[in-house]
Amino acid sequence: MSEMDPRQIEIDSLLRRSMADPVPRLSPDFHQDLSRELRRRSQPPHRFGRIVLSGYGAVSVVACIVVMRGQGLGWVPIAVITLGPLASLELVRRLRLAPLKLPFRR
Amino acid sequence: MPPVDAVDADAQLVARAQAGDQDAFAQLFRRHSDQVFRLALSILGRGFSAEAEEVAQEVFLKVHHALATFRGEAEIGSWIYRITFNQAVNLKARARYQRPHLDDTTLSHAASAEPGPHSLLEDAQRDRCLAECIQTLPEVYQSALRLYYWLGASVAEVAALLDVPENTAKSYLHRARQLLDGMLKQKGYSNV
Repeated sequence: MSEMDPRQIEIDSLLRRSMADPVPRLSPDFHQDLSRELRRRSQPPHRFGRIVLSGYGAVSVVACIVVMRGQGLGWVPIAVITLGPLASLELVRRLRLAPLKLPFRR
Repeated sequence: MPPVDAVDADAQLVARAQAGDQDAFAQLFRRHSDQVFRLALSILGRGFSAEAEEVAQEVFLKVHHALATFRGEAEIGSWIYRITFNQAVNLKARARYQRPHLDDTTLSHAASAEPGPHSLLEDAQRDRCLAECIQTLPEVYQSALRLYYWLGASVAEVAALLDVPENTAKSYLHRARQLLDGMLKQKGYSNV
């Protein structure tokens, strides 16, 4: 800061005086809180939630099959319509979880 | 610039953390947490240390989530500080931060100072005016000023935290002082 002109030195001195407040520090619990939050966010979905979601999915599939049969659709199109999206979801999930295990990747 | 050893240590920790080593990640955030907090504080300003701590926590959660995508093209520190800067600036813009009211500490400082009440009042008015002028500066200038004058960072540290060369950090400080000088003169503070 040696290249300052006199006016800059005055401003420099004013800034030093007016910003001479104590410097806050991170709270001592910061790292613990962060670790706890990380653990919480890394946990897989709750088991009860999974059961409810699976039940909801199963009921939806059965309801859809009943409605589609009522409309006169055959079992093959119903199977494709119902199981196709489920198979796609499973494929995407596996791709995301283990991309290096795919046979076409080196 | 951080020392080469520190950069190497960071790179090793990043590699271990990317392989799923949670201890390595914990070490990584311990190495950078103070700097992240100081940078967030320099953007949010005095009286916002709780918010700066929230920003620091959010930054490390983001880093943890996105570490797998970090390719090592920049230093991990620069990457973390850039996330911090953006996070703090966004928070500031979202919340439309206002200057905090004078707290008890400030009042007790004023009461225990040596000069008389008239001089104290003038100083307080000038400091308030200065703080208002600082709030109108571009974010990088505000951050550089607070890091250097309040948080005691060296020019090299300011440069590292703002991810710019040292000469640029020096010019930020120089330009900020020039702008403040002009603003204070306009407000009638020719002699500071």
